[in-house]
Amino acid sequence: MKAVKQNELSVDPDTGRKVRLIFSGLLLLVVIFLILDIFLGSVSIKPIDVIRAIFTHSHGDFETIILKFRLPKAITALTVGVALSLSGLQMQTVFRNPMAGPDVLGISSGASLGVAFVILGFSSNITPESLNGLGNWILVAASWIGAGAVMLLIMIISSRVKDIMTILILGIMLSAGISAVVTIMQYFSNETMLKAYVIWTMGSLGNLTVNQLNVLLISVSAGIILSLFSSKMLNALLLGENYAGSIGLNVKFARAVIFASTSILAGSVTAFCGPIGFIGIAVPHIVRILFKTSDHKVLIPGTVLMGGVVMLFSDIVSQLPGSESVLPVNAVTSLIGIPVVIWVIFRNRKYTGSF
Amino acid sequence: MKKNLKEILSLDSLKIGYVSGKNENILLPPLNASADRGELIAVIGRNGIGKSTLLRTLTGLQRLLGGEIFYSGKSIREFSRMELAQKVGYISTEIVKVNNMSVYDLVAMGRFPHTNWTGKIEKIDHEVILDAIEKTSMSSFCGKFISELSDGERQKAMIARILAQDTGIMVMDEPTAFLDVAGKYEILYLMNMLSRKNNKTIIYSTHDLQMAISQSDKIWLILDNKLIEGAPEDIMLSGAFDHLFNSSTVKFNSEDGTFSSTKDTLGNIFIEGEGSKRYWTEKAINRAGFKVSKEKRIPYIIVPSESDYSWQLVTETGILRFITVYELIASLRGTISGPI
Repeated sequence: MKAVKQNELSVDPDTGRKVRLIFSGLLLLVVIFLILDIFLGSVSIKPIDVIRAIFTHSHGDFETIILKFRLPKAITALTVGVALSLSGLQMQTVFRNPMAGPDVLGISSGASLGVAFVILGFSSNITPESLNGLGNWILVAASWIGAGAVMLLIMIISSRVKDIMTILILGIMLSAGISAVVTIMQYFSNETMLKAYVIWTMGSLGNLTVNQLNVLLISVSAGIILSLFSSKMLNALLLGENYAGSIGLNVKFARAVIFASTSILAGSVTAFCGPIGFIGIAVPHIVRILFKTSDHKVLIPGTVLMGGVVMLFSDIVSQLPGSESVLPVNAVTSLIGIPVVIWVIFRNRKYTGSF
Repeated sequence: MKKNLKEILSLDSLKIGYVSGKNENILLPPLNASADRGELIAVIGRNGIGKSTLLRTLTGLQRLLGGEIFYSGKSIREFSRMELAQKVGYISTEIVKVNNMSVYDLVAMGRFPHTNWTGKIEKIDHEVILDAIEKTSMSSFCGKFISELSDGERQKAMIARILAQDTGIMVMDEPTAFLDVAGKYEILYLMNMLSRKNNKTIIYSTHDLQMAISQSDKIWLILDNKLIEGAPEDIMLSGAFDHLFNSSTVKFNSEDGTFSSTKDTLGNIFIEGEGSKRYWTEKAINRAGFKVSKEKRIPYIIVPSESDYSWQLVTETGILRFITVYELIASLRGTISGPI
């Protein structure tokens, strides 16, 4: 009798097969885009030369371009995409707000405030060149703290204000307030500090040193592990704090873990690459449409893969393959993300408070 | 006092309320009550008296500010969150709105305290979930998204969720509040069945006093100065329901468990006839502000009998006939002003 029932129900093997199929497809796309991102760029390099550059240890111009620039940049793009998307997914669930994302609610601004404190506030001896080794960790930690502080503030606000749009507006206010503080700090800082900070704000995917890339990879890996650990808690939080508590979740502990991983993910990216918009808010929605589920055991790996795909794609487009010029990657991610965000806003008009 | 082995929950001088800053805001005087296995208990009280706070305190979502709650003799303070979630399940008035969440997924949430840290649904969990879905007759909705359900269906799915949680006690805060009449009775029937057949103790708050009286095994009546518990009939006979109304214009009839307004009567009128037609005519007369008198005096009403299909109003000037109660009442109102 039970066996018959199983076939009628939603948890049949078909669903499992479909999920596995989408996962395989996404994984394939990640690999393809990663390769394309290395192969394509402003300098045309023949595929055979690319392969030779990667697998032989010669020291020509092509080798330098591939190994010193394109490969780190592609890995950075992948990591940034994963980190921002995952932080967006977690924020949307914890705040139960479909419009939540690291850039929208001011988390990225908070991280940049942390960075500003380090570069502008502490010492005139810090220059981009001296920001190596331990310096990078200080920078990244400041960024985490800044991101975490804003998360906490938004959490306090959203426990009082339930309206999604009001929280968004408050998030924008918070961002504006933070940039004002940063501007004031810039005004009072000396020339060297200012230069270091301005260079940081222009940060993109391609400017990371090997050391910085290592710090980024380690931090983001930690964030992903925490996130995977939180999948059961995130599922419970979908129902809201009261229900989550009533089914046995320690809400305070869950929040602390999720806040930590979100701050690490969003903060690390902002520390080295500057604010990159709309990936964090848009990718989780694309994944939900794709998998048609609310289960974080599926959504988390899905978001990891899709975040990588979207960011690599954005990076490829921003290089305008075949041309000499390069677009800011922020412009590309915005153009991809904004239609998704608009779609979510329109859909939510009839079904507020959900995602 | 004799030790009751069936007792699953008892409140001992329980103080409930809110903590704001350093101040403890205690809502009610200490509460004493108990619940047995398999009982359906309605919590009744005026708006804002603290029904929700009491239910939230029972589920451990709010701290108790004094006294004790015992689950099968063990204090609630000794339970961890996870352990408590295996004793008591909860449905609040909050409507769960999550896109892309199927009924199965929602019910599977009930397995939270039983699964490992990854939340993996094992075969046994799967069977419990299917069983819960079947008991609430939601099998045909299993793969549907909860955002596509009607209010009543969603509430049944929520009940399936606490069934899957496999707790002895289910606490529900106004489970029928936003449902239509048919939905209300369906949910109440389900609650009744779960308490009878599955031996679940269900504690629910409601504003529907008549439904509570007719369907519950026990009532916890919360008044400003105390909590009164007992079978609905005991409380009715004690006249305690009258304390629910602090105005003098509404009165509870302990004879038939209905309410009536105590407004001044427009007059007395005699009704001749028997059966359901008489019953409903009396109701209409009462509503219109008249009282039914026992003395046969003109004018009086004759309700339709089998040989006669119309209501007759016998007055001094003659007999008026009406096809409907509506016309009868309209005529009474129009022709008679002041005491008859």
